[in-house]
Amino acid sequence: MAKIEAKPGDLVEIDFVKNTYKGVFLEAPKDEKGIILLKLNSGYNIGLNKKDILDLKILKKAEEKESNVEIKKDKSKPNVAMIVTGGTISSELDSKTGAVKWLTSPEKLFKFYPELFEKVNVAKIETPFMKGSENMDFRDWQKIAKTAEELLNNPEIKGLIITHGTDTLHYTSAALSFFLRNLGKPVVLTYSQRSTDRASSDASLNLQAAAIASISDIAEVVLVGHSSTNDDFCFALRGTKVRKLHSSKRDAFKPVNAEPLAKITESSFIPLSKYKKRTNEKIKLDTKFEEKVALIKFYPGQNPDILDYYAKNGYKGIVIEMLGLGHVATGESRNSWISKLKEIQKKGIVACAVAQTIYGRLDPLVYSTGRELASSDVIYLEDMLSETALIKLGWILGHEEWAKSKEKVREMMLTNVAGEFSDRLEE
Amino acid sequence: MELDYVKLGFKSGLEIHQQLDSPRKLFCHCPSILRKDEPDVIIKRKLHMVAGESGEVDIAAAHEASLAKDFVYQGYSDTNCLLEYDESPPYIIDPISLKIAMQIAVLLNCKILPITQIMRKTVIDGSNTSGFQRTALIAKDGFIETFHGKTGIATLCLEEDSARIIDKDKGVFRLDRLGIPLVEIATDASIKNPQQAKETALKLGEILRMVNVKRGLGTIRQDVNLSIANGERVEIKGFQDIRNIERAMEIETARQIELVKTGRSIAEVRNVLEDGNSRFLRPLPGAARMYPETDLPLLKISRQMIDDIKKEVKELENPEEQLKKHGLNQDMISLLLKSKKVEEFKEFLEIIENPQIVAKTILLFPKEIASKEKKSLEEIEKILNSDVLGNVLESVKKGKIHESEIKRVLLGIVRGEEKEEPKEKIENIEEKIEKIIKEKQGLSANAYMGLVMKEFSGKISGSEAMQIIRKFVK
Repeated sequence: MAKIEAKPGDLVEIDFVKNTYKGVFLEAPKDEKGIILLKLNSGYNIGLNKKDILDLKILKKAEEKESNVEIKKDKSKPNVAMIVTGGTISSELDSKTGAVKWLTSPEKLFKFYPELFEKVNVAKIETPFMKGSENMDFRDWQKIAKTAEELLNNPEIKGLIITHGTDTLHYTSAALSFFLRNLGKPVVLTYSQRSTDRASSDASLNLQAAAIASISDIAEVVLVGHSSTNDDFCFALRGTKVRKLHSSKRDAFKPVNAEPLAKITESSFIPLSKYKKRTNEKIKLDTKFEEKVALIKFYPGQNPDILDYYAKNGYKGIVIEMLGLGHVATGESRNSWISKLKEIQKKGIVACAVAQTIYGRLDPLVYSTGRELASSDVIYLEDMLSETALIKLGWILGHEEWAKSKEKVREMMLTNVAGEFSDRLEE
Repeated sequence: MELDYVKLGFKSGLEIHQQLDSPRKLFCHCPSILRKDEPDVIIKRKLHMVAGESGEVDIAAAHEASLAKDFVYQGYSDTNCLLEYDESPPYIIDPISLKIAMQIAVLLNCKILPITQIMRKTVIDGSNTSGFQRTALIAKDGFIETFHGKTGIATLCLEEDSARIIDKDKGVFRLDRLGIPLVEIATDASIKNPQQAKETALKLGEILRMVNVKRGLGTIRQDVNLSIANGERVEIKGFQDIRNIERAMEIETARQIELVKTGRSIAEVRNVLEDGNSRFLRPLPGAARMYPETDLPLLKISRQMIDDIKKEVKELENPEEQLKKHGLNQDMISLLLKSKKVEEFKEFLEIIENPQIVAKTILLFPKEIASKEKKSLEEIEKILNSDVLGNVLESVKKGKIHESEIKRVLLGIVRGEEKEEPKEKIENIEEKIEKIIKEKQGLSANAYMGLVMKEFSGKISGSEAMQIIRKFVK
């Protein structure tokens, strides 16, 4: 095997026993150590086994070409700020090298999303970190909240757009809903499900609608994205009542046990239900968070011993996705959960119940199973989403003054802090 | 007008797009069928031009983007899925299509690439919901022999067909065709004159028919590239009929001579018209529009796979050996090959598994009837065409006609005494579909759809078929 000194983007000539290939040397695929990729003149990429290479000549070194795109700044348009955190909406495929890069510079964002800059004046772009949303945790939510507070407490800024990966977007939207107290301006999270290289990317409409939402009168944390598979309008969805319900579709995010707050086209904003209106309040940041909280899903026959793990490892709270109206196995079952649930609560763990069915409200009083369970002090979280419940529990338990009293925790968990409960379920 | 192609510095190449006959599409499990009934899904989309590296935009893509941006896609909920709607990542490449493409590669003496990457070719004229076409370079550097010398085969790509245009002005497309597997075969620029181009096209057609490709109008499309000294490369698209190639190339060469004289030759894509003239379609695309399909792994083709395909192709290339396996004698084999009826023979064998009867029906009986009636064989074969013979053999299979009666029935048809069996109307279609499902249990509804449409194509609509399939498959 010849020594390979080429860098991605170099024009190379590679000799094999029978063939010679000429093309642009590409970034090696991470999971294919023995292979190099070459872009032929036709534009097609082919793979070549490293061990068969006799000789590799660099014909021409890659040139660094910086694009000189100038951002359109228009002071007559309303000022908004942006926080870029990563995800598909903020990545770009470098076809010269084959690598996926983050879109962080304002210039790059402008190149990809010129429509956004026509609607608003993006006065500030912050990137507290860049990561795929699957790698985020509460520390990242805290960083976003801190950045948001700084940006929004500037009176010049009318609203905030946050771009984010989709996998945990609804966790972040819930966290920000609790962390940003006294919110008087729109905080708009948006995403894309189709990558930015595609002419069909959903990012374009999502960002345009996010721009409109960011200068609207909604003073809440909302998620803005496609309302259907069509590229016609988006919905603004409350941050605590939204869930990713499809792995790949444009309209993956749906409101759960709630209605959309507004319908947004490329040029219009139509309110659909009640929301908190814009005020002149200053944001009070409250990002305390107890990391030792867990979310588990009950399944038929599950041994309650799993709860011992959490007790042993110092967990302070646990959210259980229960069956039906709020049931787990009880007396009649081989593996009743009742005594174990009582046991861990005695040890100081807060146990909450949410609905595995996703849609609908818990009501433990309908069946005897539920009544038996309700006697065990489990907190039934009505129609609250599991993910929202996990975050709210972490947030409540992060406050020592609340966490020290079992009764206070129960009271706070059942108080509607950020629209996490709906009074009326229409569907 | 006689043109001296050598003196002109004439260079030309062909590009052939041929749909492959696989029950599924290239990157999803939808049946690979075109529909005539009304679509029940409507999707509204916009395509946005995306700047490539360092801000430059592919010239062809820019041209497309300057046209419509709003598109309407018509789909069928029973034979289209999220992939055609651009709402899901692709499934792994269809192994049947890959195999057919490799067979073609071997027949064209190409080198199959052991590792290749599935690419996205930017297309924003609306004909792809995603804004690109998935395509992979499978093989390169082959050749075929023609009377005028070797024609080099530069590349063989396996790719998705595009959506069908329904209304150009309104940007309406139909999704039934999107994703049907096809091969794109590009010759190199070694074609020396229009005659060689035509011969190459005919030869390629012959080779393609040796493997499982789709037949009929629209399943094969030919494009021609040509240039003369000091002129730019021009691509003429949309030949459905090979006979037009020669004439269109002559006309375009004459046009290029004039353009070169006045310095107006430009690189462009032209659409062929019925009279052999052509008109401007769009500028030629460059390599800037190609980038990897990041949702799929590298496509690896093992030595073993290539060896197996080579073995299969040997059999395809030697139809005599194949025919011997059917127990035909040497005379019958020679006659079949000479009269170019091997395909028909194979088709009829699927109706009735008796090689002797099939061979007699297509070769001997028409001849004997011709001499008896003192008519030319051509005249007789016009009456006893493939459909008629097929229907008679169907009747034999069903026991309506005895084997020994075939010749008498055919004679009756020729004399106009015997009424030709009406084209079979499918009776008990439900039972037949149920049988297909019972024979191959455990498949998905879409897989059955492919099987059913293969069997009853043209006799039943896709939605009817799906309705019945749904009764048996939950």
